[in-house]
Amino acid sequence: MNAGRTPTLAAEPGIPVGQRNMTTPELYALRKDEAWPYLEAIDRFDPHLEAVQPEWLRRERLRALGAFGDQGFPDRKNEAWRYLDLRPLIARPMLPAPAAPVDVAAVQAALSGFERTGTGPLLVIVDGRFCQGLSSVEVPAGIWFGSMARAIVERPEFVRGAFDAVAHTLGQASLKAPAGKAPPGFKTPWSPFDALNWSYFSDGFLLQVGAGIDFDSPIEIIHVVSAAADCSVHTRSLVALEPGSRATLLESHIGAGRYWRNDAVTLTLADNAALDRAVLVEEGAEAVHFDRSEVFLGPQARLASFALLLGGRTVRHEAAIDIAGPGARCQFDGAFVVSGRDETNIVTTIDHRARDGETREFVKGVAAGRGHGAFQGRILVREGAQKVDARQTSRNLLLGRQAVIDTKPELEIYADDVKCSHGATVGDLDEAALFYLRARGIPAAEARRMLIEAFMRDAVERVASAPLREHLLRRLEHRLAALEG
Amino acid sequence: MLEIHNLHARLADGREILKGIDLAVGAGEVHAMMGPNGSGKSTLASVLAGREGYEVTEGSVTYQGRDLLEMPADERAREGVFLAFQYPVELPGVNNMYFLRAALNAQRRHRGEPELDAGQFLRLVRSKLKLLDIGEDLMQRAVNVGFSGGEKKRNEIFQMAMLEPRLAILDETDSGLDIDALRLVATGVNGLRAPDRAILMITHYQRLLDYVEPDHVHVLQGGRIVESGDKSLAADLERRGYGTVEAV
Repeated sequence: MNAGRTPTLAAEPGIPVGQRNMTTPELYALRKDEAWPYLEAIDRFDPHLEAVQPEWLRRERLRALGAFGDQGFPDRKNEAWRYLDLRPLIARPMLPAPAAPVDVAAVQAALSGFERTGTGPLLVIVDGRFCQGLSSVEVPAGIWFGSMARAIVERPEFVRGAFDAVAHTLGQASLKAPAGKAPPGFKTPWSPFDALNWSYFSDGFLLQVGAGIDFDSPIEIIHVVSAAADCSVHTRSLVALEPGSRATLLESHIGAGRYWRNDAVTLTLADNAALDRAVLVEEGAEAVHFDRSEVFLGPQARLASFALLLGGRTVRHEAAIDIAGPGARCQFDGAFVVSGRDETNIVTTIDHRARDGETREFVKGVAAGRGHGAFQGRILVREGAQKVDARQTSRNLLLGRQAVIDTKPELEIYADDVKCSHGATVGDLDEAALFYLRARGIPAAEARRMLIEAFMRDAVERVASAPLREHLLRRLEHRLAALEG
Repeated sequence: MLEIHNLHARLADGREILKGIDLAVGAGEVHAMMGPNGSGKSTLASVLAGREGYEVTEGSVTYQGRDLLEMPADERAREGVFLAFQYPVELPGVNNMYFLRAALNAQRRHRGEPELDAGQFLRLVRSKLKLLDIGEDLMQRAVNVGFSGGEKKRNEIFQMAMLEPRLAILDETDSGLDIDALRLVATGVNGLRAPDRAILMITHYQRLLDYVEPDHVHVLQGGRIVESGDKSLAADLERRGYGTVEAV
């Protein structure tokens, strides 16, 4: 398929050690066809990065690009991707956007209908790059908050250490899982789009909260896409909460038109740290959105995460949560609304590696039109992780004959003294409730909307931070007002 | 106000429940519809309110000169028909205030009146709450969720007071109430008696009628009205039971 291409080996990005003696045709044979446009794009993208990136990062990018080239796009035989149709994305590559001047006025206009939660710190990322003019990143002493590009220049050792620690932790995992899983001491292989993100991330943010600092007001990150159509945007961010610290974070993703966003965030919560996090996705109608979080919870750490997925043609919110410290608590909630031909997936792996951990996972979905929503929730309780208490719930409303919901709980338990449960429901609106509203004079369409909103509120109301909760409820209301019956 | 002629209705499974009801309810009147379990009382209430799952096979219902059966349930309500539910439905996540305001404003829009703003609405709510001794905290909760049986029934009458219907149908509103709750409900209903309003009370027992005096009493049995009279009929029935009605 790739015969006729004659790039030199030197131009070939990310060649793993074992392949360095191969001939060019042999190398090409290993790369997936659909990955090629992305492999070749590095030549145009690289010069921009070279100015700001240290050598270790450059090497890591090339290594990652090789890993992406080897894997290509996952197909539906890949269990973690079986509910998403990636063929349109394969058919029409969306290559990383080179840096371009930002039209601040246009972005401001795009943000005008989008209220803020308050007056706390704000970091705006436009087309994958920090936008100084729209941000206000002042924070008290003991907190570092700023763009990833700046962090790489100003704090290279911290950034490198934080990402290394992640890989290291993964490698140390004392796996007592069935055969076929990675043995101890091996780094977890890159998933394809995580690898692509490593290759191409243009910026992101770093939030580091010092030990014992309790920062109350929500810290907001807004990711906006305003660039020309058919490009991809990749950001990589890092949230590090040191022992006993506490923070509240809102990450919003908005945009218009057709683009592909592929973001990654690593969150590490040290002993007794607590993070309230909300992710809001309101992408453009033709947009593809992937965001992937890697989370590490230390002893007694507490994470409360909520994802509200309201817009985008293809949306995938993924989290891999490593509960490494004893007594850590993880609340992972989500809610999605799909209509038209939208597809939305929530895919989580919550890995209890320590004892006395707690997981509460609560996901609600509404599918209308020909929308397709899916939830895949895997909870793993490893040998020795005694007294873990994990509950998973998935509740869904199916509003049209052509709408589809898939819900797939997976509990894998290798410890004998644990409490684990899961439950899933898919149903239509309650006829008795609908009649009750109509019997009070409320027109049928409004009654339906009230019940759908009530169904979804139930999930949003689990958000503890009042400003965050109210903001999300307003966004939800806005989305449901436009929902077709 | 309401004229029912030879009304026949059956369930989706084909069972005929109403077998020729004739009833005329005038403005300002209070009618009591009594009868044993299974006589068709609640079916009559459901058919009048427009609940789905019933098929009218014969007869007509005219409300204020219009064909009631032609109207969808929500339009009937906006036209002033109110059903106090035998089993009020719980609506998790729907705030009571929000619900009531949506209902009231739907009706006001229908009548071409301006919608009430939050302040006007709150003042109206407070004045009516006193009437039924309902705490304001109940208004901030989800509709009927976690309400006691008595609270649910009082909430129905409170909604009725808020919506000020022309025709109120009370379906077994007295069932499951203790004597204090019954008195409160009765006070609420009596407060709503008006020359331009008709009330149809559906009940199994005479109890409620001790507190809300009907102008007319009907006995429904086997899907037909088998006897009609004034309020003394209710007392009669209490003495002799429903078993003897058909023989009369």
